[in-house]
Amino acid sequence: MRFLNITKRYGDNQVFDHFNLEVPPSTILSVVGPSGEGKTTLLQMAAGLLSPDEGFIEKEEGEQGGISYLFQEPRLLPASTVYENVELALRSSYKERNEREERTLHYLDLVGLQESLPLYPHQLSGGMRQRVAIARAFAHQCNLMLLDEPFQSLDIKLKYALVHAFIRLWEENPKTTLFVTHDPKEAILLGDAVCCLGDPKQPLLYQKIHIPRKARNIGDASLLALEADLVETLVRS
Amino acid sequence: MRSVKRNLVLLLASAILLIIWQVASIWLDSQILLPSLGPVFTTLLGLAREPVFTSNVLFTVLRALESFLIILVSASILGVLAGRYSLLSTFLRPFVTTLKAVPVMSIILLAFIWFSSGTVPLFSAFLMGFPVMFVQMEMGVKQLDSNLDEMCDLYGFSKKTKLVHFIVPSLVPYFVTGAKTALSMVWKVVIAAEVLTVPQYGVGSRMQLAQMQLETDKVLSWTLIAIFLTAFGDLVFALIVEGVGALKHRLDARRVPCVS
Repeated sequence: MRFLNITKRYGDNQVFDHFNLEVPPSTILSVVGPSGEGKTTLLQMAAGLLSPDEGFIEKEEGEQGGISYLFQEPRLLPASTVYENVELALRSSYKERNEREERTLHYLDLVGLQESLPLYPHQLSGGMRQRVAIARAFAHQCNLMLLDEPFQSLDIKLKYALVHAFIRLWEENPKTTLFVTHDPKEAILLGDAVCCLGDPKQPLLYQKIHIPRKARNIGDASLLALEADLVETLVRS
Repeated sequence: MRSVKRNLVLLLASAILLIIWQVASIWLDSQILLPSLGPVFTTLLGLAREPVFTSNVLFTVLRALESFLIILVSASILGVLAGRYSLLSTFLRPFVTTLKAVPVMSIILLAFIWFSSGTVPLFSAFLMGFPVMFVQMEMGVKQLDSNLDEMCDLYGFSKKTKLVHFIVPSLVPYFVTGAKTALSMVWKVVIAAEVLTVPQYGVGSRMQLAQMQLETDKVLSWTLIAIFLTAFGDLVFALIVEGVGALKHRLDARRVPCVS
């Protein structure tokens, strides 16, 4: 997916000015940046919820069609059960009931919610709700995944448990993914590359990460150096 | 345990109310101003044994139910449409504001000029209850969660799925609140209209006739019947809401596959 010559303005606030960015197919690009610098705008443009004032977004053939969006908050239907919340998102792509059932159960099992199928969102903890949202995002037939700070409001233990659950599901079926976050550590753990917003014309920093995702350790010297670079760029921006 | 405690408090409050009534009656010492509990309950039992009692109660109940159902259907449809289309909301605003501001008695008196005595309670109750339900439904649509709406669109929910699993469940609390308030209002307005227009049968008509003959024990007995009717209506409504909720949970549970 490529953002080509994107210009976007909200009143006097120029968020993007002939901005270019590329997300290689079947990779995760982590995007960090201060608030108001266009992270969510980038996601909304990728989802087609927002149009750029100028420029366009080019998607590869395999990236057309369904989009899975993981939001900051789980956005579950309060009157539907855990099972229904995932199954309903499959109805547009899977016409056979058995197929939907199998897929729903598979992904809910992978996030450890096989015992919680008949529960309603208000009966779940915050972490469980976000796991339902993750299962829904992966179960839904999509070619592009957009993540808008989905681990933001969770405690550190839960956050890393969910990041690892996400990695496990993603490795099973890699898709082009744009991951927006405030947290440099999350960005480094998940991304194939990390990009820092802050200048409307170009990313302040763009760095590929060559260490395989599963082998990454947050204490690794090169990752710590990258984190320090990211933090410094964020502070300076 | 909590419900037992709540019932005990309710019982205690009702007993205090009856004690105050009895004490006031002894203090006033006048069966016309305020008869004591004994004669009122004797009159109440006597009224219940009269052959026309059922007709009086039934006609009041039918009028209340009829206007309540008309309110439910019309105010829900118009409320949803007004919530969805702001132009319709603006168009209906003067009507709704007028209905909310006009005193009940004005509506009843005007309706009495225009309609027969049997239709007045129904018409007046409709006009008083309609804005309550309408405003709730309009608010329900306006307050639909835009985040969930966006989620439904991104995940390709069909119109039917979105309606059944997102829109209708989001509107239910507003519907229940509106219907509950409208129902309480309908009872009061129907009986007030019956008092003023004195149709052949009706709780309000009996109240008015008893008052004209200074039969305070009968006025109080019919008032107690009106209170029972309102309480019974609230109870039936609460049971229906609870029953529908339980049925939905049961159906949801049946849709979840068994995993062994």
